[in-house]
Amino acid sequence: MIHSVAIRILLGSCFLAAAMNLVHAQSNTPGGMPPPPGMSLTESAAMRFPQPVRVGDLRGRAVLRPVPSQDVLGRVREVVRDRDGRIMVVVDFGGFLGFGARLIAVPVDAMVLLGQDMEIVAFTPQQLRKFPTFSPSGTTTVAGDTVIKVGLAKPSH
Amino acid sequence: MNQIANPTSSPSAPRPRAGRRLHPWPIRIMHWINAVVMLVMITSGWGIYDDDVIIRGFYFSSFWRLGDWAAWSLNWHFAGMWFLVINGLAYLTYGFVTGRFREKLLPIRPAEVVHTVIDTLHFKFAHEDITVYNAVQKLLYIIVILAGISQVVTGLAIWKPVQFSGLVSLLGGFQTARVLHFAGMAVIVGFLIVHVALALLVPKTLWAMVAGGPRVTPNSQAQAHHPQQGHTT
Amino acid sequence: MRSLFRPDVVPDTAILDDHQPLIRSLERRGLIRGSLSLGALALLTGCDVKRPESVESALLAISRLNDDVQALLFNPNKLAPTYPASMILRPPKFNAYYDVMDVKPVNGKTWRLEVSGRVADKRHWKLQDLRALPQTSMVIQHICVEGWSYIGGWSGPTLRIFLEHVGADLRAKYVAFKTADDYPSSIDMATALHPQTLLAIQYGGETLADPFGFPVRLRTATKLGYKNPKWLTSIEVTNTYTGGYWEAKGFPWFAGI
Repeated sequence: MIHSVAIRILLGSCFLAAAMNLVHAQSNTPGGMPPPPGMSLTESAAMRFPQPVRVGDLRGRAVLRPVPSQDVLGRVREVVRDRDGRIMVVVDFGGFLGFGARLIAVPVDAMVLLGQDMEIVAFTPQQLRKFPTFSPSGTTTVAGDTVIKVGLAKPSH
Repeated sequence: MNQIANPTSSPSAPRPRAGRRLHPWPIRIMHWINAVVMLVMITSGWGIYDDDVIIRGFYFSSFWRLGDWAAWSLNWHFAGMWFLVINGLAYLTYGFVTGRFREKLLPIRPAEVVHTVIDTLHFKFAHEDITVYNAVQKLLYIIVILAGISQVVTGLAIWKPVQFSGLVSLLGGFQTARVLHFAGMAVIVGFLIVHVALALLVPKTLWAMVAGGPRVTPNSQAQAHHPQQGHTT
Repeated sequence: MRSLFRPDVVPDTAILDDHQPLIRSLERRGLIRGSLSLGALALLTGCDVKRPESVESALLAISRLNDDVQALLFNPNKLAPTYPASMILRPPKFNAYYDVMDVKPVNGKTWRLEVSGRVADKRHWKLQDLRALPQTSMVIQHICVEGWSYIGGWSGPTLRIFLEHVGADLRAKYVAFKTADDYPSSIDMATALHPQTLLAIQYGGETLADPFGFPVRLRTATKLGYKNPKWLTSIEVTNTYTGGYWEAKGFPWFAGI
C-alpha cells in the first residue's frame, strides 16, 4: 500500500503539467437534467419552480455548465422574444479570452437561475456549438423592467 | 583571499555559537512537522475548493484531494490548522529569539538576487557552503513565511466572517478574502515546487535537514554579512 | 485516478467490528438508530470503511473541540454586517440535498408548527400566528459552507420572541428543528437568542416562495447556510443533542460564522 502510494506521488509530481490537464476531466453530459424523452422543454422547465426575475438583472450574468468545475459557457447579452413569442436568451457563447465568441439564442426553458449566474441544463456544449449564430431579424428585445419566470437548479457537485 | 579580522569588531553581525549545526534539532523537527501539515492543509483545501470553484473551469480531480468529499476535507483542514498554527508560532518564536532569522535571512541585496537568479538559470547551484543562504533562498524563505502568515489571517477571516467582520472588511469582503486565501496557497505551492526541486538537485541540503548539516563557523556567517568582492556561492 | 484512500479489495462485514467504538460514540450523540449496514456506515462516515477508524475518530474529536472554541468565540452582542435592500438577490440561490424538482410544497392553510420540549405552551402555531408577532427585517450575507455567498433579505419574528411567547426554558442548551423535507437541524441556545436569528416568513418583502422554505424557515445571520432549515414543521427546546442532517454525515455542528 505504501509502495503504491509512493509511486503514485512520484508519477504525479513528475508529470505535473500533464496532470494539470487531468483536472479538466469531466463528464460530457450536463449535470443538470435535460428533459427526458417525450417531455418538452417547457414541461421540464415548469418542474423547476420557475421564479420571477427582472430581465435587466439577467444581462451580463455568467452562463455556466452544470458541472462541478462550473465552466463558463458565455455571458447573457440580451433577452428577446422570437416570432412565435417564445423567450430566448441571447448568449455570447464560446471563444477564448474574448476571441471567437458568437451570439446564440437559447430558449429560456433550457436554462436555470443559479444564484447570481445562469446555467444551460438542457443542452451540452457540443450541441450548443451547432446552434446557428443569432440573427435579430424577427425578434423583439424584452425591456429591462419586464419580469419573466425562469426555473431553478441546485449547485452541481 | 581577504580575511575578516575579527567578527566581533562588527557589532551588526550576529555571533553564532561555534560548533552549532546549520539546522539545530528544533528547526528540523518543526520543518518536517510543517511539511506534513502544509501538505494536509493544501490538499484538504483543494477538496474544499472543489465544492465551489473560485476559478471557473479549474477543478482538482480526486487524486489531488485529501478527504473523500467535502465534509472530510473540511475536517482535515480544521484539524490541521491547529498543528499549523502551533508549530508555526513555535518556529517564528524560535527564529526571532535565537536570532536565526536575522542571521540567515538578512540582509538581502538586490544585486545579489539578480546574480543568483542568473546563476540558477545557468544551472549553477553547486552551493559549496550550505550554511550560508544565497539571496534567492533568503527571498523565497521570507516570502513563504509571509505567505503562511497570510494564509492564517485570510483563513480566520473566511472561517468566522461575522465574528471577525472587521478583518473581512479590511481584506475587501468575504469573496475577496476567499480569493486571497487561494492565492496564498498558490504562492506556497509555487515555493514548494522550487524548494523540493532544488533540495533534490543539491541532496546535501536535504540531508542537512535530516541530520543537521555542517557545523556553522564564525567565518562563514561573517562572510554572509560582509561579502568579499564577487559572490559567495 | 482513484482516491488514495479507496481500497483495492471490497471490505467484508468483519470490518464493522473494528468500527464498533466509533459507532457507539456516534450513537451516544443520538445520530444512529437501528441496525447498521456496511452501506449505511459508508454513507454515515462519507467514505470507505477501510479508512482507519482512529483517524476518523480523531478528526471528529477535533471537530467537536472546534465547536467548543467557536462557542467561546461567539459574541452574542455582535451583529452581522447588514446591507442596503437594493442589494438583495432576487430570486435567492436555491440549495437542498436534492434538486429543485423534488421540492414538496407545503400547504400554508393546513400547515401547523409543533412546539415541544422545555416549553410552557405546546399548542400548535398557524402561519397567521407567526405573522401576528412583532416582525424584524434584515438584509444580510448568506454564506454557504461550499464557499458561495449572496446578499438576501428576510423578515419574520425573531426566534427569541417566539421562544418567549411559548414560555421556553431559555437556559436550555439547544433548539431543535424538524422540517417537511426530512432535514433535521439544531442550534445552540445562544445563537437562537441572537437578535439576527429569525423565523423567516418573507424574502425581499414578499411571502417566502415554495423552493425557499414556505411557510417558514430558520434564518440566522451568524451561521453557515446549512444550519438554516427550510419548511419548518416543529421546534423543540431541549438539553439533548440531536445533531442534524449534515452533521450525521461528518459536517461540523456549531458551524458559526
